[in-house]
Amino acid sequence: MIQQRPTTSNEMNSTRLGGGPEGGIVTITRYYMALVLTMFTGAAIGQEGILDRPPERTYDAVIASGFLKVGMYQNFPPYSYEQDGVAKGIDADLGRRIAERLGVEFQPHWIVPDETLGDDLRNNVWKGHYLAKRRLADVMMRVPYDKKFAYMQDSTGEYMNEQVVLFGPYQQEQWQIAYNPAKLDPVSTIAVFRYHPIGVEIDTLPDFYLSSSFNGSIRSQVKHYNNVGAAFDGMLAGDVSAVMGMRAEVDFELAEHPDDGMVPATNGFPGLTKQVWDVGMAVKHTHRQLGYAIEAIVDELVRGGEMEALFARYGARYSIPGYYAEVLGAQAE
Amino acid sequence: MRSNTIGKQFAASALALAVSFGAQAVTDKDIMNDQATAEDVVSYGMGQQGQRYSPITTLNDSNVKSLQPVWAFSFGSEKMRGQESQPMIKDGVMYVTASYSRVYAIDAKTGEEIWQYDARLPDGIMPCCDVVNRGVALYGDMVIFGTLDAKLVALNKDTGNVVWIKKVADYQAGYAITAAPTIVKGKVITGVSGGEFGIVGKVEAYDAKTGDLVWTRPTVEGHMGYVYKDGKAVENGISGGQAGLTWPGDMWKNGGAATWLGGTYDASTDSLFFGTGNPAPWNSHLRPGDNLFSSSRLAIDPDDGSIKWHFQTTPHDGWDYDGVNELISFDYKGKNGKMVKAAATADRNGFFYVLDRTNGAFIRGFPFVDKITWATGLDKKGRPIYNTKDGRPGNPADMKGDKGEAVVAQPSFLGGKNWQPMAYSQDTGLFYVPSNEWSMDIWNEAVSYKKGAAFLGAGFTIKPTNDKFIGVLRAMDPKTGKEVWRYNNPAPLWGGVMATAGNLVFTGTPEGYLKAFDAKTGEELYKFNTGSGVVGTPITWTMDGEQYVSVASGWGGAVPLWGGEVAKVVKDFNQGGMVWTFKLPKDRVAAR
Repeated sequence: MIQQRPTTSNEMNSTRLGGGPEGGIVTITRYYMALVLTMFTGAAIGQEGILDRPPERTYDAVIASGFLKVGMYQNFPPYSYEQDGVAKGIDADLGRRIAERLGVEFQPHWIVPDETLGDDLRNNVWKGHYLAKRRLADVMMRVPYDKKFAYMQDSTGEYMNEQVVLFGPYQQEQWQIAYNPAKLDPVSTIAVFRYHPIGVEIDTLPDFYLSSSFNGSIRSQVKHYNNVGAAFDGMLAGDVSAVMGMRAEVDFELAEHPDDGMVPATNGFPGLTKQVWDVGMAVKHTHRQLGYAIEAIVDELVRGGEMEALFARYGARYSIPGYYAEVLGAQAE
Repeated sequence: MRSNTIGKQFAASALALAVSFGAQAVTDKDIMNDQATAEDVVSYGMGQQGQRYSPITTLNDSNVKSLQPVWAFSFGSEKMRGQESQPMIKDGVMYVTASYSRVYAIDAKTGEEIWQYDARLPDGIMPCCDVVNRGVALYGDMVIFGTLDAKLVALNKDTGNVVWIKKVADYQAGYAITAAPTIVKGKVITGVSGGEFGIVGKVEAYDAKTGDLVWTRPTVEGHMGYVYKDGKAVENGISGGQAGLTWPGDMWKNGGAATWLGGTYDASTDSLFFGTGNPAPWNSHLRPGDNLFSSSRLAIDPDDGSIKWHFQTTPHDGWDYDGVNELISFDYKGKNGKMVKAAATADRNGFFYVLDRTNGAFIRGFPFVDKITWATGLDKKGRPIYNTKDGRPGNPADMKGDKGEAVVAQPSFLGGKNWQPMAYSQDTGLFYVPSNEWSMDIWNEAVSYKKGAAFLGAGFTIKPTNDKFIGVLRAMDPKTGKEVWRYNNPAPLWGGVMATAGNLVFTGTPEGYLKAFDAKTGEELYKFNTGSGVVGTPITWTMDGEQYVSVASGWGGAVPLWGGEVAKVVKDFNQGGMVWTFKLPKDRVAAR
């Protein structure tokens, strides 16, 4: 049902944030900064509360406050999840490392995913959800780093994602199948799934890909689960013979179940619209200084090999972002 | 025999209610007769059939120009957005909801607040469907409404204190409630709103007194329905008989078909009529088949939730033409002089359908918008004849590059008519349909991401099809399909309609006006600007011998959420949150 589906980020540009209110924000930000620097934070927060708009947490405000709110998807192993009240996962650990280097406390900001990335950026990075306008992350992790996405225009020529800055690619992600060798020969092509059930997370690219490939002949073998973990459990229970998801998700599940005999496949994904993509972070476009500071930290982790070690901690293989291949040349591979 | 027993139980419980709650309690009888009584409005639809027709003639085409505002009430706080409610009136008290799951009891004479209830919504809630609420149900001494976190809440009508709260569905799984519940034979009947994917629509009945679940009926083929006896679930048949008849693979498990707009009830056939939303996933190429019971109207037995019949307006929906729009029961004289028990609906897909409400058979159908591109017409059974050349959005499997080929579909997915209820006048025999003229460009978009992963989304833009107007209030003849008159409005119409025996048709506009038209000619007879866009539904009643009209005002809902060219038309409209009340002063009542 899309009687009312919140739109992409340009909603606010075109309809509500005219020149006047923008000017207002600038003034208020200065006022707020003055308060932070000279008085106490409580009064400033009170001001923002009256205005019911997100606090302007620029680099200086983040450092002054002593904490960094790191936006991560909820319940999303191995990237970000909670265990015994502690934020775990690759993105959580990376967020911790960033906060540490900035000299501030790490605070997880959990994100319930919406229908698209544009929605998540609007709700968590630049505008706030309409039920929690003041609840924003200072930086959001696991944001695909794609220039085409960053500069995408709508039909009227407006840039759809100009309220955020995408930066700091730290990983290249790709698709992966794991299978049960007791049920399947090594997967040479996805054509075998015309005959064998395969589990996917509902409403993901693997779901659409498998449901439409080979003229839909795989479709009836596609079993839908709420997440890759549940699909993996389905494979362990014998309900499906394979699982398709993101490589780190699949690697993590394999590492979690080392004695169950499931193995990664080496097949390709012909016709899949996007085989690999870079993953980075996002901040609000007015908070570039914070982005630059985080970018420098992450760059060091990527180049120094710490990032790879961080992935290995969760049993996940690591690929350096394509961005670095461009910057450093072929030897980076 | 069984129905006899239930009838007796029902009579006994109604009596018990009357005794325990005193004369002012709202009874089943009050609700059943709502359309005929002038002093109250105790059902969503001004009568359970949903005709939104008032028999009051005090206010009429000759004196409506003297209609005057008597009070206005602010919903308060910063929650100024999307007031889609229909107020209720009982014993001089108005019960009205506002966005963000708020309820108010207001002195209908003075506009003074009696009590206010704000549902405490969970932190981090992400309702799928904006923050609107469309109204309450009244029963006994209770005011009952649904919340954004998918609960039913019953409040004491005098104090606003909670009587019971029941969880209808899990908001974390994507469910919400925005529609007004329906009361039938002591049961509170509700549907659910749901996000795009992964949910299954359902209709449920709860015991109004206790809040206990009585029955549940999933609206997707393959799911078991249940009735509850002494707290135990007893199987009551699989919707559609079995799984997999009209869905591939296991897609029926998450088939969509949300019942987000609630339902109407017809006592003469003892049927609830609920519409269902689009099927999931969005891309129709992934799910060949009719995908029952998505984009359909269902007739449901109010006693146990069994499906009596269904009529699917958009089989294998590929355009997001939700089939939720209200099905209004009405009787008309057929060619042979016999009365026909009919029901009509104006669908999102642009077709107006007249059905036999005793069995769901198609009587006739016709476009109620200026142009339809996705289908070339309806066949003898009312099934669409698809435009197979360029009517359906493309298959993602055929995509080359980053962007699939755009298809133009008219109406747009916001529909020839959306949620806003139409009205039926028993005098003119016409339906008054708040409709919109817009199309959409839709294409597959590969530069798309979801939850950190590459995705394949659909890109789309909604476009007005005319320079001067989007909204059209139409008077449609259900017997001939003829448009008798039309009123063109610059902004899209998003508020409900009411017809009266005073030869009047009322509706609101996003420009802020409450307007009244001559029901026969469409001549505009009255307008008043409420200060913010009207997307609520007007009501009328009499109090101390004078006729009143009320409507909620407060721009919002789906239209401003969408960018593109429609946004240009509405970008300067200010949000709001008020309910306005008007009356015709005694000294202005002229003889007709």
